[in-house]
Amino acid sequence: MCAEKISRREFLGVARGAAIGGIVAAGALGAIAGYLGGSAAAPAKTTTVTSTVTSKVTSTVTAAAKPLKVGYVYVGPVGDYGWSYGHDRGRRWADERFGAGVESFYIESVPEAEVGGAIESLVARGANLIFTTSFGYMDATAEYAEKYPDVYFVHISGYRSGAAGNAPENMSAAFAEFYQLYFLNGLAAGAVTETGVIGYVGAYPIPEVVRHINAFVLGANYSYKKKTGKNIKAHVNWIFSWVAPDKARSAAVALVEEKNCDVLAFTEDTPAVLQVAEEYQKKGKRVWGFSHYSDMREYGPTAHLTGQIANWGPIYLEFYKMVATNSWVSMDIWTRIGDYMPYRWRKKVGESTAGQPEGTVFLAPAEPGHPQRVAARDQEALRRHERAPVRAFQRRWEPRRAHTRPGRRGQDQGR
Amino acid sequence: MSRKINTPFGVIRIERRAAYPRHIAVLTTLLAVLLAFLAVAIILVLIGIDFTAAFTLIVESFTKPELMLNSVKQAIPICLSALGLGIAFKMNFWNIGAEGQIYVGMIASTGVVLLHAYYGLFDEHVLLPLMFLTSFALGGLWCLLPAFLKAKMNVNEILTTLMLNYVAILLVDYLIHGPWRDPGGYGFPLSIKFPDYAKLLFLFGDTAYTGLLMAILGAAAAYLIMDHSKLGFEIKVVGQNLNVARYSGIDVSKVIMFGAFIAGGLAGIGGLSIVSGIIGRLRPRASPGYGYTAIIVAALAGLNPWLIVLASIFFGGLLTAGDVLQASMNIPKTVIQMMQAIIFLFILMGEVFKRYRIVFEGKSGGDMP
Repeated sequence: MCAEKISRREFLGVARGAAIGGIVAAGALGAIAGYLGGSAAAPAKTTTVTSTVTSKVTSTVTAAAKPLKVGYVYVGPVGDYGWSYGHDRGRRWADERFGAGVESFYIESVPEAEVGGAIESLVARGANLIFTTSFGYMDATAEYAEKYPDVYFVHISGYRSGAAGNAPENMSAAFAEFYQLYFLNGLAAGAVTETGVIGYVGAYPIPEVVRHINAFVLGANYSYKKKTGKNIKAHVNWIFSWVAPDKARSAAVALVEEKNCDVLAFTEDTPAVLQVAEEYQKKGKRVWGFSHYSDMREYGPTAHLTGQIANWGPIYLEFYKMVATNSWVSMDIWTRIGDYMPYRWRKKVGESTAGQPEGTVFLAPAEPGHPQRVAARDQEALRRHERAPVRAFQRRWEPRRAHTRPGRRGQDQGR
Repeated sequence: MSRKINTPFGVIRIERRAAYPRHIAVLTTLLAVLLAFLAVAIILVLIGIDFTAAFTLIVESFTKPELMLNSVKQAIPICLSALGLGIAFKMNFWNIGAEGQIYVGMIASTGVVLLHAYYGLFDEHVLLPLMFLTSFALGGLWCLLPAFLKAKMNVNEILTTLMLNYVAILLVDYLIHGPWRDPGGYGFPLSIKFPDYAKLLFLFGDTAYTGLLMAILGAAAAYLIMDHSKLGFEIKVVGQNLNVARYSGIDVSKVIMFGAFIAGGLAGIGGLSIVSGIIGRLRPRASPGYGYTAIIVAALAGLNPWLIVLASIFFGGLLTAGDVLQASMNIPKTVIQMMQAIIFLFILMGEVFKRYRIVFEGKSGGDMP
């Protein structure tokens, strides 16, 4: 059972996506890294890939007679502006694309020990598709999937789905994976750090978060080494909570004050860490932060570098379609850069979606960030290209090709 | 004992009731609940939510069997911890540490399951009784430490019990991120899943029924200890007057330690009911503050064991009702938490009116300056 499960994950990880994801990521990060290496990077094309999925959905759905009632269980408040907010945005996205015939509702701030009541309430409301969006809900989701075989369940961020995952057939698993984006964010972090120390505020030491920290530090070390020839230092503060702006704040402040970090990445469901970075910026200290799961630019107008955004909508829509057309297949979806949905795993490098709000995961818009070093001309360009973040991101970095001599950037920082 | 308050309209006198008959107590509580729902209705109208529909749903969540069973399941850890607190508070031992005792209860029962699963110790049939014993013992010991300090050195138990909560929570974190992590769990901080014979399923194969039986047995035990045993009598004397207890030859420190041990043990079994009943394995932060909720429940029930069972099920029902309201009417969680808080505030205020009488005196009356 376990061996089967591992091989399945390996299949997902290696066969389906890793190589392709890596190539696609390389294309996008080439744009960023190119500057550091002093070579002209292959620009990531921003061709808009018009989706045919939408039209397919509406056509198949009109034939379906089954009224779709979808329930969601969130671990935090929908107003957290991070994880749960991202899921709620995905819910609305999927509802909108699906059109008439779907009704969705949610229960927010559900402690992991009380998810049973939430699922019962959603079933009592008549839900025939239920999404549970926290790792801690996994066992309960499987338990209720067994209890209600007529209701379909999708668990986000776990590993139990279908018979292969030791779960009933009416349960699927899904996740929008970020490690590639964290590597790209790491490149940006290594490029802007002056102290050579970066910090990470981690929620729980679970595989997902450890993976993200590793990717972030690898990326940061890569670009920092290109710049200075030295290795970067990284510190992690664990807060043991998903939604705890107070703890995230004190952890972030400790990283800056005690460890001298000047770039802060995080896994916590609110913008608290970015807000700390912004406060330091206001006080004249250069500390940078990122978006996590949702676009958090407004919480750090000067401190925001880029970040990781997920649009859960396409994943949800996929399951809506399956339930509405009675074509349910228990599956384990793991989307990365360039993965639109299971049908769109392989995209050409030129069609990278790393910086575009298309697909399920993408870089946060990279503006404004680093304001002193962005010339007025580029600010203009940024505004013009607000809707094409990848190109805007490149534009912002391109003029700086002139300063490729190692050490030079460090000298004129902060002037 | 009475107290006078001067107001522009006259003097209000608050005096302690000599006795309060049972029917007055019940009526007061009912009136408090009624007024609470009235206050909730006013707020819902102000927010623009249809309160009749909301109240229908609340009633529904207390009558639909599936939802009610879930409420009962949710209430077990709260109920058991509150039963323990009822004993501790009766002897003025202010145990804020039920949360920590719940966590060590979880550690104890998970430890037994792991010994069985990894080393093949213990027979399947003795596993569950053994889990009960160890979680009671460890929970009791966790509470015995502050009780010992209080009895021998007069250390404030509010601080020590509260601080031990964090120790217990972090201990679970250590175990579950370290030696107790499931080797087949992809590195997630979870213990192995409990086998079915280590779960609370021995009554009709359902945790809710089993838990209800546990709650009733726990209440019966608490009732017998408090009302029909020497220890219960001594606990009450210690709580009401320490000097009287000493002069009458009661070994005060022994009573405090015994009472605290039982209180902590019951909370420990509450912890067992979480890992073995609700979740089915140990995970970090498994209790969302049930040990603190138990304080409210114990206060609501006036420390009476039977009322604690009812109050905790009422509380579990309100939790479920909150979920139903969110699912069906899209009412935000914050509004629901506010509704729950209002209901509890009104009931707790009702407790004041049971114990004190408020007398309005005219401006001329009394000894006004």
